[in-house]
Amino acid sequence: MSKQITVVAEVRRHDPSQPGEPHYQRFEVTGIDSMRVLDVIRSIYENQAGDLAYQFACRVGRCGTCAVKVNGVPVLACQEKCKPRMRIEPLTPFPVLRDLVVDRTEVEARYAALKLTPQRTSAHPGRPEPIEPAVAEKLCHYDLCLACMVCVSACPAVAERAFDGPAYMLKLRHMAAHPADSANRLDQALEAGMLECFNCDVCTQLCPADLSPAQAVRDFRKQMIFGGGKPA
Amino acid sequence: MSVALPRNTTNQTEGWLVGDIARVLHRVTGGVIVVFVLVHVAAQAALHAPAMAAVKSSVGTWLPIAQSQHWVHAVLYFSLVFHTLYGLRLVASELGARFDYRRSLWVIIGLSALVGLREVARYV
Repeated sequence: MSKQITVVAEVRRHDPSQPGEPHYQRFEVTGIDSMRVLDVIRSIYENQAGDLAYQFACRVGRCGTCAVKVNGVPVLACQEKCKPRMRIEPLTPFPVLRDLVVDRTEVEARYAALKLTPQRTSAHPGRPEPIEPAVAEKLCHYDLCLACMVCVSACPAVAERAFDGPAYMLKLRHMAAHPADSANRLDQALEAGMLECFNCDVCTQLCPADLSPAQAVRDFRKQMIFGGGKPA
Repeated sequence: MSVALPRNTTNQTEGWLVGDIARVLHRVTGGVIVVFVLVHVAAQAALHAPAMAAVKSSVGTWLPIAQSQHWVHAVLYFSLVFHTLYGLRLVASELGARFDYRRSLWVIIGLSALVGLREVARYV
């Protein structure tokens, strides 16, 4: 049976278009102990701060839009259980539009620049192309990425070095594994700062889709050392 | 046929970020090794180099004693073993070896701690 708890949430408030510095506003929310961080944020918006900016879409951990930092750790707000005391902040290092909403323009621009569709040398045959089941399974696995940017926000290499982030490495590895793709994804990964990755697996630990961007980087590095084309 | 569900991601903010621990420990242990080497070279120079004879009576007395403390040896040996094993793990994983990032870190910390504790035990 669910118990009632009272959660103390400090939410980072800031509107860059208005004068004033970022500050933390304290709220108390009472609800069942299994409520998620998103439930707390929605309760704050509906009952205490109608001007709070936040975003979500699916509520089941599949769209990745509700990602925020809770007590310094990037998580999906719809999946993370609430804590008795929480400090809720927008994802770093992205520019803040308002409160918990970040500007994803640069993220989308980087995805677009990487051309993350199979780059073919010949025209599409006009019918479905057979793919080995093992390759198809691998592609489906890579395709689970939500592009939520939790891994980019948590990555220490992104904070310290010229590294685009684990999410882009994963997408590039996805394309590198695609049999119809002929682009040089290794070169793209190198340009995106692949060698700056610390190989620490923080991204693996935090990925809400249970993927391992760090393994994608390791696969690229292995390919760089030993050569070889598309993995089977 | 069983379907492998993604792991539970409802408590990500609880517990430690294993990768952060590994990264920080790798840096700290590397720093310890560099500092010890520098101190060791300085101590030996103070004791044996004629050009450093002026500081032999001051630095040359306490620095060799300080660096031969058993806890200093324990920290140094822990650092040497951790830095070496974790570095090798990083290289091996980039050459294609697969490791569980959690388990491998705790094994490396455990082995390093054993070597460090052995140094303490030698003097007890």
